[in-house]
Amino acid sequence: MTFFDCLLAAGVAVLCGLDRTAALQLMVSRPIVAAPLAGLVLGVPQLGLQVGLLLELLWLGRLPVGASIPPDDTQVAVGATFLAATLLPDGGVQPAVVIFCLLIAMPLAKCGQLFDRMARRANDTLSRRAGRSVQSGNLQAVDRMHLIGLGHFALASLLTFVVVAAAGSVLCAILMPSLIGLLEAPAPWMQLVFPLVGAAMILVSINVSRVLTLFSASFASAMLMLWLL
Amino acid sequence: MKLVLARIDNRLIHGQVLEAWVPNIHANCIIVANDEVAQTTMRRLLMEAAVPKSIQVIVNTVEAVAHLLNSAELGDARVLLLFATARDALLAFRAGAPITTLNLGNMHAGAGKLKCSCTIALAPEDIEDLQALEAAGVEIVSQCVPTEREVAWSRMLPKVKGEG
Amino acid sequence: MLQPLPRSVLFRSFLRTFLLQASWNFERMQNLGVLYVLSPALRVFYTDADLREAYHRHMAYFNTHPFMASPVLGATISLEQRRAAGQEGTFGVEDFKSMTMAPYAAIGDALFWGAVRPLAACVALFFAVKGSLLAPIIFLLAFNLPHLWMRLLGFMRGYTLGISVVEIVQRHRLPDLAIRLKEGMVVVLGGLLAYQAVATCRGAGMPAGWGGAALPLVFVFVFFARKGASALLLLSLSLVLLATLFQVVIW
Repeated sequence: MTFFDCLLAAGVAVLCGLDRTAALQLMVSRPIVAAPLAGLVLGVPQLGLQVGLLLELLWLGRLPVGASIPPDDTQVAVGATFLAATLLPDGGVQPAVVIFCLLIAMPLAKCGQLFDRMARRANDTLSRRAGRSVQSGNLQAVDRMHLIGLGHFALASLLTFVVVAAAGSVLCAILMPSLIGLLEAPAPWMQLVFPLVGAAMILVSINVSRVLTLFSASFASAMLMLWLL
Repeated sequence: MKLVLARIDNRLIHGQVLEAWVPNIHANCIIVANDEVAQTTMRRLLMEAAVPKSIQVIVNTVEAVAHLLNSAELGDARVLLLFATARDALLAFRAGAPITTLNLGNMHAGAGKLKCSCTIALAPEDIEDLQALEAAGVEIVSQCVPTEREVAWSRMLPKVKGEG
Repeated sequence: MLQPLPRSVLFRSFLRTFLLQASWNFERMQNLGVLYVLSPALRVFYTDADLREAYHRHMAYFNTHPFMASPVLGATISLEQRRAAGQEGTFGVEDFKSMTMAPYAAIGDALFWGAVRPLAACVALFFAVKGSLLAPIIFLLAFNLPHLWMRLLGFMRGYTLGISVVEIVQRHRLPDLAIRLKEGMVVVLGGLLAYQAVATCRGAGMPAGWGGAALPLVFVFVFFARKGASALLLLSLSLVLLATLFQVVIW
């Protein structure tokens, strides 16, 4: 992992982070896009894809509704890919390492909610300043104030990524030698637990009637079909 | 009729209510108690159009809603009751609405209001109204969406006084 | 009939909708974003004191779904144009904005965040499971076709139809469409999980039928999730359980 690689990953973190709220919202911020993208710039696309797959399934049902801020899945995706890339520079996918990096990145990225809230608070100031500018007749200032907001969101994403990457690297170095052996055997099964937990999360939060029946029927018929083929 | 959630939310029906609360508490009827919306046809139609047809929507004045909640008309509906302001909630309670707990969702910031949290800002008259409700035995909590932690509003108040 | 706004100005406003939330703030949410989108048009309609007043008008609190803001803001431009020409209708510009924002936010949250995004993701994840790097591309295509359609068409129709744009949204019954799509998503998700369960069993050298055990496991997780357990907690507990199990087996 060279310094240049770190910069690239940080660039992806900021670009995808901006897509969450501030700009475009083309959904490059979703783990299924952000993680493979981070993997691509770090030369480990398959590793990124694996991270993205697990996270996307886990957080399928998360909604950014109103003023409540969901956990920063974008920075978990980019951060976990970054950590996995430092541990597996040749890009080979080892389930144990992927699971390990995800479980380290997920709690660390909780700080993302804090940084995001700080960015939005900082934008309160922008809104007030723009209000005063309008009153004094300086209308040009409004556009400028608005675009400064982008900077706040970018900074929040960058900080979250730096925390995940830096603290994550330290934790990896400390915990990896003792824990990775324990993870080796359960890792392939954990790869299945991620989607199962994600499915449970979406099934309890969705407003569709008889959703458990629908899900079970679909699961059972797919099982039968796979068994027949 | 079972009142599963009574909530003050100045946005009334919106994403947090429909996507987060309705599935969480299995409500099948949303009642909006707001005089202004009830009297503006366009507002009412827009609001009704935002809700899937599997959920019943009733928009009426605060008084009519309080009356409705006490009638047998709603059958065995699981009701989510929405107010825009603390005053409306108090009026409905005094008119007999069977509110035991009140959820503070979004109460928007404005001039002269004290910020209690990111989504709750209270004017002095809001605090009076809520205190009146609390004195009458209504439990008041603040919780934007079900995945967030519930905070008793009295815990938010000292902070307000400190800041104010 | 009013002279329509030059296309270049309208297009600039449209492009600016992509930055609607750049300064999202707790106090007034998308207020500066709205001004940012409207300002190219407002500058055509008004000058001097009128322009300042128009700016002041749109500094007010506003918040809706970022994609559904397109029809609202398109119609707002049309309403501002009428107002500038002295032909304001029954609903003022402010009334229209405050009336539409919450219901449209609800529609957008249900349709785009609640339905289109997870459905697009579920479909794309089939490719990811197979290790294909097409997965993100398929996800982006499936999500952004309806997204950009709503943004562009919503904005243009909003401008040409003005306040009547709400009738179109009304007629399409988007909240019911969202429910249909969510049902479809649950079906696709069931299939995806069955495939993954079978693949995991085969990978471990077990008969595929054992994959069926994944379904009761989902129900166990549903039970705990209903009790308020978070995803991270469930994952950690499962890992500890699995790790202990394997240690015991090895011993």
